[in-house]
Amino acid sequence: MTTAATSGPMATTSAVAGTDGRKTVTTLREHIIDIISDSGEGAQRCGQSLGAIAARTGNGVWTVEIIPAEIQPPARSIAGASGNRIRLGSRRITNGGDEADLVVAFNEQVLLGRVRAGELKPGCIVLLESAWREDDNPEIAASYAGTCRDLLTAGYRLYEIPMEQECLEIVDDPRRGKNMFVLGMLCNIYSLDLQLARDQVARTFRKKAADVIESNVKLLEAGHSWAEQHLDFKFAIPAAPVTEPQIVINGNTAVALGVLASGMEICAMYPITPATSASHYLSEIFERVGGVVHQAEDEIAACAFAVGASYAGKCAVTITSGPGYSLKQEVLGLAVMGEIPLVVVNVQRGGPSTGQPTKAEQGDLLAAIFGSHGDAPKVVMAASTIEDCFYSVIAARRIAETFNTVVVVLSDANLATAQTPFPRPQFDEAWVAPPVDQSAVPRGLKPYSWDARTGLARRFIPGQPGGTHTLTGLAHDQNSAVAYDPELNQQGIRARSLKLAAFQRTLAPPPVFGGETGDLLVIGWGSTRGAIEEAVEGLRAEGRRVSSMHLRFLQPLAPGIKEIMQRFKRVMTIEGNWCDRADEEIIDESNRRYAAVAMLLRARYLIDVDCWSEVRGQPIKPGSVRRAILERLDRP
Amino acid sequence: MEADLQAQLAFVLTGRAGAGLSPIAPLRLRPAPLARYRALTTLRHDYPLVLTSAPAGEPVILSLSGLFDVLLGEVGVGTDAERLRHHAFRLERKIREAVAAGATGTLSVLWDQAERQLLTGGESLLKDSCARLRGVLSVDGEVVGCDRALPVRLFTHVWQRAQARKVRRMQEEIDRLARKLSDILGAADANSETGLGAERLRASVGRAFANDFDFAAMSQLLTTTRPVVRLSDVRRARVEHLLATLRSHSFAPADFVFKTLGDALEAHAQRLPGLTALANTITAAGLEIDGGYRDGAHDAVFEALNGRELDPVDRARFPDYLVCLNADTLRAADIAKLTEALCAGVPLKVLIQTDDLLEPSQFGDSHPSAGLAARKLVQAAIDAADVYVLQSPSSHLYRFRDQILRGVEFAGPTLFSVHSGVGEWTDDLPPYLASAAALESRAFPAFVYDPSAGPDWASRFSIDRNPQAEHDWPAHDLSYEDESLQRMSEEVRFTLVDLLACDARYAGYFARVPKEQWNGCMIPVAEFMANGPRGLPDKVPYVLMADSSGGLHRVLVDARLIREAWRSREQWRSLQEWAGVHSSHVERALARERQAREAQAQREAEARAAEAVAVVEAVPTAAAATGAAPAPVAPPEPAEAKPPGEPYIETLRCSTCNECTKINDRMFKYNQNKQAYIADLKAGTYAQMVQAAESCQVAVIHPGKPWNPDEPGLEELLKRAEAFA
Amino acid sequence: MSEQATMTNGATACLLRMYDEQHEIEDYQKGVPRWCTGCGDNAILAAVQRLCRDEGLRPEKTVFVSGIGCSSRLPHYMNTYGFHGLHGRALPVAEGIRMVRPDLAVFVNTGDGDCFSIGAAHWVHAVRYNMNLTVMVHDNQVYGLTKMQVSPTSPRGLKTNTTPLGAHLNPLQPLTVTLGVQNVSFVAQAVDWIPEVLYEIVRAAYHHRGLSFIRIVQRCPEFMPGALDPWVRDPQRVLILRHERGLKLSPALAQIYRNQLEHDPSNIHRAREIASTPDPIPVGILYHNPDAPCYEDLRRNMDQRTTDMIRRGLEAEFDKFTITSHGS
Repeated sequence: MTTAATSGPMATTSAVAGTDGRKTVTTLREHIIDIISDSGEGAQRCGQSLGAIAARTGNGVWTVEIIPAEIQPPARSIAGASGNRIRLGSRRITNGGDEADLVVAFNEQVLLGRVRAGELKPGCIVLLESAWREDDNPEIAASYAGTCRDLLTAGYRLYEIPMEQECLEIVDDPRRGKNMFVLGMLCNIYSLDLQLARDQVARTFRKKAADVIESNVKLLEAGHSWAEQHLDFKFAIPAAPVTEPQIVINGNTAVALGVLASGMEICAMYPITPATSASHYLSEIFERVGGVVHQAEDEIAACAFAVGASYAGKCAVTITSGPGYSLKQEVLGLAVMGEIPLVVVNVQRGGPSTGQPTKAEQGDLLAAIFGSHGDAPKVVMAASTIEDCFYSVIAARRIAETFNTVVVVLSDANLATAQTPFPRPQFDEAWVAPPVDQSAVPRGLKPYSWDARTGLARRFIPGQPGGTHTLTGLAHDQNSAVAYDPELNQQGIRARSLKLAAFQRTLAPPPVFGGETGDLLVIGWGSTRGAIEEAVEGLRAEGRRVSSMHLRFLQPLAPGIKEIMQRFKRVMTIEGNWCDRADEEIIDESNRRYAAVAMLLRARYLIDVDCWSEVRGQPIKPGSVRRAILERLDRP
Repeated sequence: MEADLQAQLAFVLTGRAGAGLSPIAPLRLRPAPLARYRALTTLRHDYPLVLTSAPAGEPVILSLSGLFDVLLGEVGVGTDAERLRHHAFRLERKIREAVAAGATGTLSVLWDQAERQLLTGGESLLKDSCARLRGVLSVDGEVVGCDRALPVRLFTHVWQRAQARKVRRMQEEIDRLARKLSDILGAADANSETGLGAERLRASVGRAFANDFDFAAMSQLLTTTRPVVRLSDVRRARVEHLLATLRSHSFAPADFVFKTLGDALEAHAQRLPGLTALANTITAAGLEIDGGYRDGAHDAVFEALNGRELDPVDRARFPDYLVCLNADTLRAADIAKLTEALCAGVPLKVLIQTDDLLEPSQFGDSHPSAGLAARKLVQAAIDAADVYVLQSPSSHLYRFRDQILRGVEFAGPTLFSVHSGVGEWTDDLPPYLASAAALESRAFPAFVYDPSAGPDWASRFSIDRNPQAEHDWPAHDLSYEDESLQRMSEEVRFTLVDLLACDARYAGYFARVPKEQWNGCMIPVAEFMANGPRGLPDKVPYVLMADSSGGLHRVLVDARLIREAWRSREQWRSLQEWAGVHSSHVERALARERQAREAQAQREAEARAAEAVAVVEAVPTAAAATGAAPAPVAPPEPAEAKPPGEPYIETLRCSTCNECTKINDRMFKYNQNKQAYIADLKAGTYAQMVQAAESCQVAVIHPGKPWNPDEPGLEELLKRAEAFA
Repeated sequence: MSEQATMTNGATACLLRMYDEQHEIEDYQKGVPRWCTGCGDNAILAAVQRLCRDEGLRPEKTVFVSGIGCSSRLPHYMNTYGFHGLHGRALPVAEGIRMVRPDLAVFVNTGDGDCFSIGAAHWVHAVRYNMNLTVMVHDNQVYGLTKMQVSPTSPRGLKTNTTPLGAHLNPLQPLTVTLGVQNVSFVAQAVDWIPEVLYEIVRAAYHHRGLSFIRIVQRCPEFMPGALDPWVRDPQRVLILRHERGLKLSPALAQIYRNQLEHDPSNIHRAREIASTPDPIPVGILYHNPDAPCYEDLRRNMDQRTTDMIRRGLEAEFDKFTITSHGS
């Protein structure tokens, strides 16, 4: 039975109360919902569905997966929390936000995990499966009762809900049905259209039998009406109807679709978290369009296989994460040396070593830029949104083949699993790699006829008459002959370096978010974009003169960055990699290790760029960014 | 007694039937071996056939019985298997009867009709059986009985299916080439000014990056820093032309079935130029795609090719022509023309159908023409050596389905000769039996000549589908009860005479002998003619025939027919020789082989005794095991060939290590395989020769004796050279 | 072999072949080999150049891929396309090339260190993939380029710069390992000092569709001078494997190398036995299975690929994920 801990529904700022039957409907600008369970209880499916329904309704949506570290964590364990965070808003949502306003938990242990991680707002609404109270195992019953008491004293609004009991009236195994019951409740709580929910359920189970769909719809409706009858609160988040068609996917799916759209034919990979799901999805769809996902015997082979395919005329991609990227470094050096186009996607995870496989971090930037031994210049770019993940691969292929260079695309575990709607891409034939050039090579042209000013050269592909040469990882002259003369090595390295400069000349200065001038410019890259811009926007609304700039190209850096930085009193970066805090006792200017981009900017532009970073494995929250910015603004 | 024999002899020699002998016509007799086939529709045999419309890979022809067996295999398991079986056969029989009565249509239609007739009683079990059988029936198609129309329908069906496959393959190839050709243009455009223009570049990076680049700058960079290679106008034009030709093509093979040779040849003549063009386009496209097209040279080649007739390999890839002819209406002129066309390799698939096999020749009606027209054609075709020939009576077409398929798909002309067994003179026998009888009697043997089957006759020519092909006549065990109800059994050989006995036109050459007049001088035809056409003195030949009630009769045969039978046997024997059955050549060869083997075994024994090293031994043993000739005797070692004292290199063993050529590259040179030989002794010194021998990695240089006696230090050099003598 | 070759044959094709440019062995030669004089690599180079000429391979349609080591310099001396890559990684690179380019002839030249040590993982898996590659392992049982270190196939007791007291372990047997891998399709062994047989084996390997693995036992006059002399000098210590479907020996050589064994290359068990008895050195084709499936045949259908196909594939996926506004 329901026990309303505190009375009256909570109201947020500018909440306008309307009425629907006996209940007051509180209107919200946005809300954050966590749905957590033991893995296998379907909390994730529930969350995805809720996100989809809200998106159809026209709400801004961002869903983040809550993934347990182990494959099969024990039931009811604090570390085993599996599920989703869904952030709903009346406008576009660009990140997972701060703490949850409402939590649905299938048992109190997984809930404790979230509580301890500080993921709940004070006074957060908690909807908890009540079955454990009567559990046969006295320890469990006790732990449950205890937790409830603590939650109440902590000031959370606890609602104990007999989900299992209600589901048992429809299905035999409530573990299989609870998630749809919860979906029904949430649809009621957030005044989402029930029919829309029914359609979504049908879509979710489209591969299953009709009776499966039917019983799940029953559960949905049961949850909906239960909430209607027993809960004393209800919300509404105004939605702006979707104007153009949107697609909802996560970052790894976007990467895979990007590979497809870029016309690349070969994706060579080796399984590694969190990159692998991109290859999983690609494997499903790639062969239908004449592509091949090759799972090689190891990371090195995967990279070498891709290089072979690229060398033979079909620019290829290899997708990996930190440890795999380290293994590929030598092959990447070869690609640079041979000027073979290649796209590498690195879905960053926590490092060093095995680090935190399922957690987000931005720790591989310097490895990507400087990784290979010797001077191995390559293009490094970072996707900052899910839409970016799609287009970055297309652009990367184009750059790689146009400039005969390695292009590294950095994503991370945050983008990999997060979902949000973005405009459905309009296919353009120009995305697709052109056919292999097999035309005869003009007389006198050399395999590396480096342009004196730009270092650019036209590449010869096997099959081209008159182009025979042996590509080599050794220092070589313009004929690709082994260079024994020291002058030749000098020439080759110069050419490959100038090529990067030439590419840099084709870049446009990055846009500034906020004002063109001000007290503080925050520079970020990759998946932190949503959080940073949200924080900046908030502060500007409060009259703070802060702007932000998000870098897409990290190597080379776009022109105009210095001029932009000079228009601000202070510049700082906010990153998901390590930097020493200036206020540590033993840290000073002589030994402080800066965050990656901060270091790069300081080195290149001789500007005192400060930095703030965090490596908790969780996406950086707008709240944390806000605090960091305020701290910087207020520091003398 | 004597009197009877006199009369019998008289009939055999004169054909005049004396006392006691009676004509056979009224008795509706049949050769004894055929007796049990009177009610054909009650027997499960190959007919009727289902000409399936199944997709590629599935069988093109099915026999109704075979089909029902398959269905039973799928559902006929479990407790009610027997019931299903029973019902299935009833259904099958209904359909067979309907077809025999002239019903036509697809299996599904006939099935429904048969089912309706069966279910008048409304037996629920039967209903269930039919439903279950129908449930697993996956194929459908025309059901055809063994009648006059069968050969044409069957071959047209198979041919059309094959053509469809051909066209699909060809179309796939054309599409592939078209794709690759447009790739050539695509690649060129990608590197052109437009391909590298700002707009294309902007489009190519996608919406999200539209503002991250200065595309004008990028375009400028890409078009100025490296040569923009353009596709030569000549090649572009050529590629576009090839593409156009490829795309303009389509085939409709269904149109290419003809009733007369003339029409077929005309159609061929009309299409030929187009096909030649296409074939050459395909070849040219291949070259173009492979980057092997060389303007000057190849233009000329294709110039020449376009006038030329189609290369057989190409021709085989295009649809061909099916011509269905009937031997009875064929004139000598047609035969000549047809022969010519076949020999000329015109892609024809010819079906020649013989209905009346036994039509008496114009030179005396005791001579059946025995399908002369077809036989002449078949002979000529086999002579042509590269024509696929298949001959079979209608009755055996199903057994020949694979060979028919091969024939239809054969890369070259094909001749099918079929005897339908239809004719008003044998109306008593259904065509299935009549044609089968023609095969049994060797009057219309079945055989295949497949030029692609192998290098020699043994693998190309086969008669093994004939009953008891190794014998003159197939033998049948005939068991019956005599009037004293004794179980009797005798072996009966089926000869041409038996076949003739079924033909009303030859009734006059037969006379029935009443049982009481049977005597020891009466012997079966096969025995009678064992030693020649004249037969045996004071013996009379008879055939054993049965009446509708199964009663057996001995029927005397006019000697004139014996001669025909003997002729037909001789023809059969020559066929056997071709096929290597009792072939005199083969027998000789075998004898030789036997001798060789014995000699071989002898040698081995000696070898074993002599040689100790096991491995060396292995050679002849294995050779013997594989029946191969003994290891070739190697020529004498190079050394022996050389006059003593002359320096030489075992070039064959040189490992191209550059040692000698480094010492003196005028004295030592490499041959076309990069192996060293002594090019010019005078170009070097004996010292160098010895040094080379010493440094040679594989020690194949033999310095021999000095050629310049005045060279210093010879003594010491000669000593060093000894090691390499 | 090129697509063209498989497309048509018959008179027209023959006629056209007459117009293909003819190549001499010198046409495939580039530069002056920088191997030590007397090195067995020269014999292998001669053999492949002879193959290219005899098969009329077009230089631009031929790729020689190698790793690092003396062996791997070979592509530099071939006037064809070449890929002289990383230590141990020749095979995966060659696989990548093969996967996208069925029209090229792809050869791999690698060494005992390159293939059996640093590249061992790729070796085993390449055999399993069975892609259409001709792989030649120049096995001189020592590291040459890095100046004499012990290699996986070094004879036990060999004194090298890293084993001054002699190699500690027994040598690895490349043939038995290769023959132990599932889907192996062609395994042969040659020695550099019988060039004719070397050539015949390379040619058989080239004509095999699938991965043909040739171990070439090779002398290193620089760091193992005379080490193989007992075998080079005594023909009896070479066991020639002959078969009508395998190696056929010229009468002249048959006379010299009398130690012969009739071996049916389809018999893998026998092949394994022979492989595990390294002395006398078995020379010839140990195993050949023309029907083993090739990875590229199982995987690639790129020939049908068109931009339109990609568009359709992409739109189909977008449709799955597209949401349209409620009501609209």
